[in-house]
Amino acid sequence: MMVVALNRLPVTDCLTLCHRVVDGLCGREPPRKGDYSATWSLEEWLQLLHSLTALFRLAVGNNSSDEEVLAGLADVGRSHAEAVLSVLRARREEIRDALLDRTNSISSATLQDFDWQLKLALSSDKISSLHTPLLSLSLDVRENRALRSVTMEMNREELNTLISSLEAANKVVLQLK
Amino acid sequence: MEEVDNILIHALKQVGTEVSEETGSIKQFSSELIVEAVVRCIRVIDPGLGSALPTSLPPGMSARFRVGMSLAQACQDIGYKGEIGYQTFLYSNEPEIRSLLMFLVEKLPRESAEASDQPTGKSVVLQKAIAAAIRAQLAVPWLPPNCRLPLHGETQSPGAQHSFHVQPLSLPHCTKGPGKKQLKELQDYQRDILPPVTAQPSHHASVVASILEQHTAELSAAQEWDNEWNTQGLLSRLTPQEYRSRKLARLRKRIEEQLRSAALPCPDSAFGGSRSASDLSELLQAFRGSAPSDHILTKGTHFTHTQKFTFTQQAAAVSSPPILSGHQSESDMQLRQQEEQASLQQQLQQLCSDVDQLAADMKHMSVTNAQVLDELKQRELGNSEKEEKMQVKKKTIDLLPDADNNLPKLQAVVEASAKRVVHLASQWEKHRAPLIDEHRRLKEICSNQDLESSRKLSEIKSLHDKIRVSTEEAKKKEEIYKQLVTELENLPQDVSRSAYTQRILEIVSNIKKQKEEITKILSDTKELQKEINSLTGKLDRTFAVTDELVFKDAKKDESVRKSYKYLAALHENCNQLIQTIEDTGTILREIRDLEEQIETENSSKTVANLERIQDDYKAIRQENSALAAKVREG
Repeated sequence: MMVVALNRLPVTDCLTLCHRVVDGLCGREPPRKGDYSATWSLEEWLQLLHSLTALFRLAVGNNSSDEEVLAGLADVGRSHAEAVLSVLRARREEIRDALLDRTNSISSATLQDFDWQLKLALSSDKISSLHTPLLSLSLDVRENRALRSVTMEMNREELNTLISSLEAANKVVLQLK
Repeated sequence: MEEVDNILIHALKQVGTEVSEETGSIKQFSSELIVEAVVRCIRVIDPGLGSALPTSLPPGMSARFRVGMSLAQACQDIGYKGEIGYQTFLYSNEPEIRSLLMFLVEKLPRESAEASDQPTGKSVVLQKAIAAAIRAQLAVPWLPPNCRLPLHGETQSPGAQHSFHVQPLSLPHCTKGPGKKQLKELQDYQRDILPPVTAQPSHHASVVASILEQHTAELSAAQEWDNEWNTQGLLSRLTPQEYRSRKLARLRKRIEEQLRSAALPCPDSAFGGSRSASDLSELLQAFRGSAPSDHILTKGTHFTHTQKFTFTQQAAAVSSPPILSGHQSESDMQLRQQEEQASLQQQLQQLCSDVDQLAADMKHMSVTNAQVLDELKQRELGNSEKEEKMQVKKKTIDLLPDADNNLPKLQAVVEASAKRVVHLASQWEKHRAPLIDEHRRLKEICSNQDLESSRKLSEIKSLHDKIRVSTEEAKKKEEIYKQLVTELENLPQDVSRSAYTQRILEIVSNIKKQKEEITKILSDTKELQKEINSLTGKLDRTFAVTDELVFKDAKKDESVRKSYKYLAALHENCNQLIQTIEDTGTILREIRDLEEQIETENSSKTVANLERIQDDYKAIRQENSALAAKVREG
């Protein structure tokens, strides 16, 4: 465990850092190395980050009590350990949600995000007046931890087909519940 | 007639006829105006038919005649049933023109049809404008960023096209459960460290998308829950918490089953059979969350778990033999390694088959064990029965030696116990009856309550349905209302419309008044008729009586005979007088009819028209003679 390295930081900074680590765990911006480059080397930084994340995950995943967490932080200073514990208490729900989210996306490819644009084709090179709406849909699919963007363009009928098949899939999911 | 003329003139103005402000009635229409009005109406009604017609009369008389003929033909084509010809236009007659114009104005397409055409026209115009703008933008050559003028900024800068990405946000209201006391640490965090929502996403562009996404997710979750609760939750008659926990348990069981069924075929197919049990239990433990959380976090399916497990085993097997010293020659080592590998393989196979066998044995054993346990239980039961029997028999044998004494005793005991049984039975009956009654009553109440609750449930359901339906209806109606309001605002602020309705109402009230008066007059006339009839009857009767009296006396007295003659003469004269008065009445009526006829004839401008016809006739003759002269000259 590299959590010992926390001792090099004042308690208030430690609190912010831990919150930022939790932010990173919940899918927001993680803390930047640049802000702490004076305190730790790159290797130490990475190890610290990793161990802190693992600590939070374990504590929330096991639903461990305060004493257990404090026992895990035995080699860190008392005030620092208290700070970590307070962060854990404050963010327990959020971390739990993030972990549940991870468990939910258990399959090999999951939909992370999507974006769409509606375009109206007024004319083409062959037809002077076309007037066809086109939807360009881009799906951000996370596949083996790598983000892949799938983009497609559909006209009205194709979009209807897509929507009806998605609705059928949703019905199947609802039946599972 | 003035009202009708005003309406007609208004309609004609809308069609595009230039009617001057002074013309207030059809009477003042000139031939040119009539022709223009009719042609414009025809053009609106049937553009194909109307485009061939000129809007003004040509100077030449024969040409005018031809125009009149073609106009009459066009009117008949449209469907005008009345009498029509060139004379209708050239030598106009007010009633005819009025009826023709009324027919044409009625035939004009309604405004609603125009309104439905309008939007498509507008959108087409808009689309054309957009297409033109895009074409112009495409025609502009591309410029490197430094050379761009502000003019190009909108179309050529790439800033306008970035996609929206969603990032999770932390909002204080989400983490606060209802009725849950907030932790002090959480409050501190939210107050001191949590940045505002706009600062949370890493890109400023994704703020809106993230907020919208979060709200949509919350909303859809709430809606889904609401829906489910209304359809299934209410029927289950549980509190929401109970329903949730029951659903959770059900889902858990289901997933467990799924995992079990998915895990079973694996060992048979590829890996040794002995591991399945331990692997499965590990999996299920991981699923319950009681195992170290590493198992939750590694996003493994059952497949990866199994795989991992085999790999570790194999690795252990490989690494177990002692590593040989590296002093021997390479070939030796290779050979040795191969040998070793072969032997290890063999060993492995042996072990695998052993394990298989052992597993099969174990299964068999467990089955046998269960069987044996069953048997044991049965035997024990039999044993205890037999022991009881034996005890009874033992007692009987003990009692046998002193049979004479014991027999009455036994009988007494038996009788006493029989009595007691009877007594107990009667007591039981006493107790039982009210209890049964109570039970029945409670059962009835229970069923009643059941019925009541199911009725109420169905009521609630129907109420829910009603609420939904009525909210939808309300929404629809509101939309319709808005649409109508906008339509109303878009309508041309036509004053004439309200004026027309007012006038129509006035006319209707006038007609009502007139009708009342007519009925009054009719009743008066009837009364008069009655009076006249009664008077004539009276007169007749009096005359008959007088006649008889005087006639009787006339035979006796000369003077009376004279008076009788006078009486007869008087009666006759009076009859004549009445006849004359009636004749005068009929003549007066005829006179009035004739006067009316004269008036109508006067209104049709016969004399003036005759003069004009004569003039036109002269003009045509002149034209004809001029033409003849030309022919002769030619």
